[in-house]
Amino acid sequence: MMGQCDSRFSSRGHLTRTTIIIMPSTLKLNAVAFISPQNHPILIRTFSKQDENTIKYHYIAHTSLDIIEERANMTGKLGDCYLGLLYSMEDVAVYGYITPLKVKIVLALALSDAVVKDVEVIMLFKAMHMAYYSAISNPFLRLESSMDSSIDQSPHILVGSPKWKNFRKRVDEIARTLGTS
Amino acid sequence: MNSYPPELLAQLAPVMFVAGLEGPPKAPQESETGAAQAQLDPFQILSIRLREALVSQRKVAVWQPDKSKTFQVVLVDKEVRFPPRKLVPPDDPQYTNSHSPLSPLTPSSPLYPDGLIAPIWIRKHTTLIPSVFVMFMRIFEYPPHVLRSPLEGHDSDKDRLEEERKRDSELASDIAQRKKGTNERGVKLTVVLMASRRLLDDPALDSRLTYIRRQSGLDSRAALFVLSPVSTAELHDFVRSLQQALYEPALEYYTVHSKRVRRKRNRHSQATASYPNPAVQLANPNISRPLRPEGWTVRYEYKMACFAEFRGEDEVALKHYQDAYATLTIMFGSTAILPPRTKRWAEAKVLADCINIKIVKLYLYNNEHALALSHHNTHIRQFGDFSRGWGIGEETYEFWSWIARQYRVLAEMIDQGTRSGLVIPVHQPTASSTGAAPAPRPAGLPDLDFARTLGINPSHALQHSGFYYYMAAKCTDMRRARFQAALEAENNNNPIALSPGFQNEKKVDHLSLLYTKAYELFKKYAATPALANQTTSRLTLWIATRIAETHYEAGKFDVAVRFFERIAKTYRKEGWHALLKPLLSTWYSCAQRMGDVELSIKLLIEMMGQEDLAESEEPNGLEEDLLALFQSTVPSSTEAALTFDLAGARPIFETDAVFWKAEVNVEEPAAFQLPITAPTRTVISSVPFSSLEIHISHISNPVIVRHSAEAQEESTPSTSVSRVDLGIINLEDGLQLEIAANLRWKPGSVVLFTGALVSRKPVTLSIKKVIFNIEQNSWKVQVPVEPRPPVLGSTSEPRWLRSQDPPRFIAVKRPDHATTVVKPRPHLFNVSVIHHEPGFLDEDYPIVIEVVNHDDRDLEVMADVLLQPTDIDYAINTISVNGETSTGLIKDIPFGVLAPGVHASKTLHLASGGSGGDRLLDISISANTPQSEETSGESSDEDEDEPASPVQIDKTVYQETLTVPTIAPFAVDSAVMYARTRGEWQGLASLDTFAEDYFDERKGTEALVNIKLDCTGPWGVYIENITLDATVCYTSLPPAIIIDLEGKSAPEIRIMDSSVDLPDGNLFPAEYLAGDELNLSCRVNIGVRDDGKSEEYLFPSPGRYTVSWRRILRDGSHGSLSKTTVSLPALNPPGDTLVALFDIPPTATLHVPVSMTVTIRNYHPTRSANVTVQMEPEVTDGFIVAGLRSGRVPVLLPGGEERLEWTLIPLECGYQSIPRIRILDRRKAIPGVPATTEEVPVDGSTGEPVKLIDLRRDERRLIQADGQGEEGEATIRLLESGSNFGGVLVVPS
Repeated sequence: MMGQCDSRFSSRGHLTRTTIIIMPSTLKLNAVAFISPQNHPILIRTFSKQDENTIKYHYIAHTSLDIIEERANMTGKLGDCYLGLLYSMEDVAVYGYITPLKVKIVLALALSDAVVKDVEVIMLFKAMHMAYYSAISNPFLRLESSMDSSIDQSPHILVGSPKWKNFRKRVDEIARTLGTS
Repeated sequence: MNSYPPELLAQLAPVMFVAGLEGPPKAPQESETGAAQAQLDPFQILSIRLREALVSQRKVAVWQPDKSKTFQVVLVDKEVRFPPRKLVPPDDPQYTNSHSPLSPLTPSSPLYPDGLIAPIWIRKHTTLIPSVFVMFMRIFEYPPHVLRSPLEGHDSDKDRLEEERKRDSELASDIAQRKKGTNERGVKLTVVLMASRRLLDDPALDSRLTYIRRQSGLDSRAALFVLSPVSTAELHDFVRSLQQALYEPALEYYTVHSKRVRRKRNRHSQATASYPNPAVQLANPNISRPLRPEGWTVRYEYKMACFAEFRGEDEVALKHYQDAYATLTIMFGSTAILPPRTKRWAEAKVLADCINIKIVKLYLYNNEHALALSHHNTHIRQFGDFSRGWGIGEETYEFWSWIARQYRVLAEMIDQGTRSGLVIPVHQPTASSTGAAPAPRPAGLPDLDFARTLGINPSHALQHSGFYYYMAAKCTDMRRARFQAALEAENNNNPIALSPGFQNEKKVDHLSLLYTKAYELFKKYAATPALANQTTSRLTLWIATRIAETHYEAGKFDVAVRFFERIAKTYRKEGWHALLKPLLSTWYSCAQRMGDVELSIKLLIEMMGQEDLAESEEPNGLEEDLLALFQSTVPSSTEAALTFDLAGARPIFETDAVFWKAEVNVEEPAAFQLPITAPTRTVISSVPFSSLEIHISHISNPVIVRHSAEAQEESTPSTSVSRVDLGIINLEDGLQLEIAANLRWKPGSVVLFTGALVSRKPVTLSIKKVIFNIEQNSWKVQVPVEPRPPVLGSTSEPRWLRSQDPPRFIAVKRPDHATTVVKPRPHLFNVSVIHHEPGFLDEDYPIVIEVVNHDDRDLEVMADVLLQPTDIDYAINTISVNGETSTGLIKDIPFGVLAPGVHASKTLHLASGGSGGDRLLDISISANTPQSEETSGESSDEDEDEPASPVQIDKTVYQETLTVPTIAPFAVDSAVMYARTRGEWQGLASLDTFAEDYFDERKGTEALVNIKLDCTGPWGVYIENITLDATVCYTSLPPAIIIDLEGKSAPEIRIMDSSVDLPDGNLFPAEYLAGDELNLSCRVNIGVRDDGKSEEYLFPSPGRYTVSWRRILRDGSHGSLSKTTVSLPALNPPGDTLVALFDIPPTATLHVPVSMTVTIRNYHPTRSANVTVQMEPEVTDGFIVAGLRSGRVPVLLPGGEERLEWTLIPLECGYQSIPRIRILDRRKAIPGVPATTEEVPVDGSTGEPVKLIDLRRDERRLIQADGQGEEGEATIRLLESGSNFGGVLVVPS
């Protein structure tokens, strides 16, 4: 499982934070959501100022699953990870991404009257995917998780729990880098 | 959309007035249509149909993108009058200076003095003035009369013509009248004359039509049609062609208008330089604000846009609309031009909104979604900005009302559009933009497409109307919130800038459900195949939440609750507790308002479980609410406890059962721990838990833990983990276990129940559920909690407390830590399988299975043996035990009940047939405890259900696979020699030879069969007896022989004697050890049927030896009797044709005569032989020969023999060679001249020598020659040893 992720990344070049810094970007990231293959929330992180809107991004993440599932089913196995614009609503444009292991990443970008380049969004997604991937690779996560019958589910969920700060830190860093560039 | 004047929104199409289709007098038609229809004349029917066809073809609608040259048809009276162009009549001198009644320059106009454009102007062009005028009229037809006589014809024709001419003139003048009116307005007039079919065929019709046209002054083109009553289908064709013909004039009409307006605009824009126009100001001295030039521009552009739209020129219309819109925004930009909150301002705002809708629509017609949405967004932004300037910014409900309306109109339009062909794009990236760098752009790709490949502007991505409805609903929500705030402010006598619309706003029902519309649409669009299997999509759930919230606001709590129930299910299932939390609190409020105490309690309990989501401001709030509820209310029924049954809800406590071992034996205690962890952020320390029921599988009575105050006081644990020991619980005891413990949890504290379960039966142990009982006043609430329910988000690992202070845990990594399996104790027994391999074929091979009971219980032992099938040819293997024989499986071989320490054995016999190889045996031995009387007697009721459950089968199974290599006891080698018979042949004519059962052995061959048995095996063999059976084993014969045997033409074989039958030489019984050899020989006589085919026969095996033997066991004793059959080989005697057999005694005495015979035999079945014999004694021979020197043997017929005899007197002692005899077959020498055989001199000098065989040495073997032949084949060569002549040993007398 890990090997698969690994090869994917190594074959696509280095998708580290530095890549983001180089990219001049107009994107404003409002929130990012990581959702497990079983559609449970892993981590939902909001970056907009008003904190009372957090719940809104939970809703957005949850509703995005519909379209993600639809698109993923449509393209089948050959489909790309990047699912494009899922929908735009109110003041956000929602983009979707599905990793080969069916972890879904949802980005809520502030809606602006400008063309959002797919390349940039993909960059951002890949950085997020990388963050998730390196967080999930933490061997100590497995210590905590029960080796339950629901095989690999627990580490997915665990990685987003407040106890494991690394993942949040990475995600926040990506958001910050995006904001400053 | 309804909030805007429909005229400003509707799609415009050329207008056609249709007159002359008035129906018959209404009364009968409406009352009884069916009956009246029959009485209507064809023309009335025609006009009714025409009306339907014309009116129904086009509906006035906002979304109508198709350009099929259809008119908007307005049915009018023939005498309809157009509205006056100007107020003053044309003959008035003021006419040129005056303006249209709708012009802002006309004082009586509603737009006077500074209005922009009014819906009435559109209405004028859609309902009052047509672009074409179609008049349906009847042409006069002289009543068809029957010619009574040819004489009448002339007169009547004349009358008719006159009458027609008169009527036609009238008609023409009517038309001319009408024509005058239409000409004034530049409207095309078309007349459709309705005539009967008869008239159409009338040759006079053309001239009449020409007359009418000339008289009436109609145009020459497309102005006069004739229509007769036709079917509906043809009528539609007519309508279509009529419109085709008139479309051009209609366009011209609108073009003329456009040109006129453009002229005016140009004139006006030139005049603006001198603006303000003093003349106008002078003319209207009272009016301070006449329409500003920008206003005129808007007016003219709008008009031109409308006319373009009439013409169906969407692009032109779009351009003009955009210009109008742009100028309008300029006007709005200045409060001087358009003072806010005036009538003109409001009108202009409506106009701007409507133009926006038109622009968006026209873009969408062209599938330019991005431009459409872009315009829409710009509109909202721009006017949002304006609104702030006007003091109706985001804080006002007006603002949100307006935005909501914009979204709603957009949604409605997209909705309409999608119903008639608008396709919502899917915003999935098409090109698989995999790499970080975009794929190089193909050269010829247009820029637009290229932009798309880069990405899209999300705000320009068209989505289905549900999204826009949602936006509208959301804005309506905002509007309501603002309104509520305003209302509150008013109630507090502190009104915030009372706006004029406030009173109106109070009347609005703010809670009308726009969300519902969005919900429906989302549901509809979610019904794609991919999601069809899901009952509800998550998008709709979100909206449903909003609907529920709105219901809640509206006070429809029961409806809201129903929504909440449904929504909560999915959120619980998928573990979105963040979403669940606000939902629950609203739900709880609903329940409170509804006064549903039970639901409130349940929701409070569920909310207590929702603890992991950070900031709960009042950690005690829930608890207090719950206690207050208990205090203030009384349950509906006091007997039944209220059960917390919200399926899938996250429980208050996190419970987890952990068993230390995955498996235990029967009667071995299975230690478990049951930690119950309280939420960390919600305080539940004063929730009155009265008791706790721990339900354990296979125990009917739960373990009850009662709350006790004493326990509460004494155990003020220093750590957050407190332990309650339940002790050892015996499953079969059936005792009610009750324990007192402290059942008050501090935040995050853990109460750990420990204990051990003992089962006497094999079962799977688990803790089914824990029921928390809350009791207060008369309330009883049960909260069942399953240990570690499959709810997501419970992330704590299973762990085992090993030290309480400080608490230390060991992680339990077993996946099934919550269960343990009780296994029956294994039965101890030993199995040994004894046998001495290899086994021999045909042997009764004993395998001893010995079982020893090492257990302290009695064991009932059974064995199953399976002999696996082999792939060895002709191998028929069997096993047998206890007299039962099988080629496969023998089941349930009883060993009986073994007492401890006792051993039992069974001998299994394996018999292997066929050839050697490994034989495989699967032996499985199972042991179980026999059902003793005491257990069955003690719990007879339990025994009854025992056999049903397979778990109860308490059995230990031992399995072994046995390989028995099997070899043949003897290696068999056989050798066969053939010799010619010596006896005298029967005479050819002997009658005996014709007997049915005649066996002419002398003509046949004698075979000596020698069989060598080589004891190869490691074991010695004790041979008791060997017998030779002369039975022919038919089954081993090739089929051809069998047929021959049945046909009684086969050779006959007779075993003459055998070494085993020697009366004195009986060797058996005897022991043969490995490496010993034993030869068996026998003589076989092969007779030949006199059918001439003997050479073709393969002689079957004449018999077989049966060897009865016993294996010599290790201890020297003999095993059981086995019989091995050794078949004699099949015989293949070589054939002969003509042969001379020479016989002489091997020894002779000096000077004593001996006789020497030569028998010449003709074996040939058909040919006779002509043979000469010459004795050629030489001086050196040691014999004197008496007898035939040279002579001819009488012709030998087939099957005949001739015997010649000589007498020899030995002259010398020693080994003497026989005198030479030459026997020639003359027939072969001269095959070409058989007739002259007689004449050939009997000198014996010609012919072929006949083979002379020394009978004493006659022995022929078939020898497998090494492959020296050309093809390297192994051939069978005949080795004839009789052709070497032996001598005679002469001894002295």
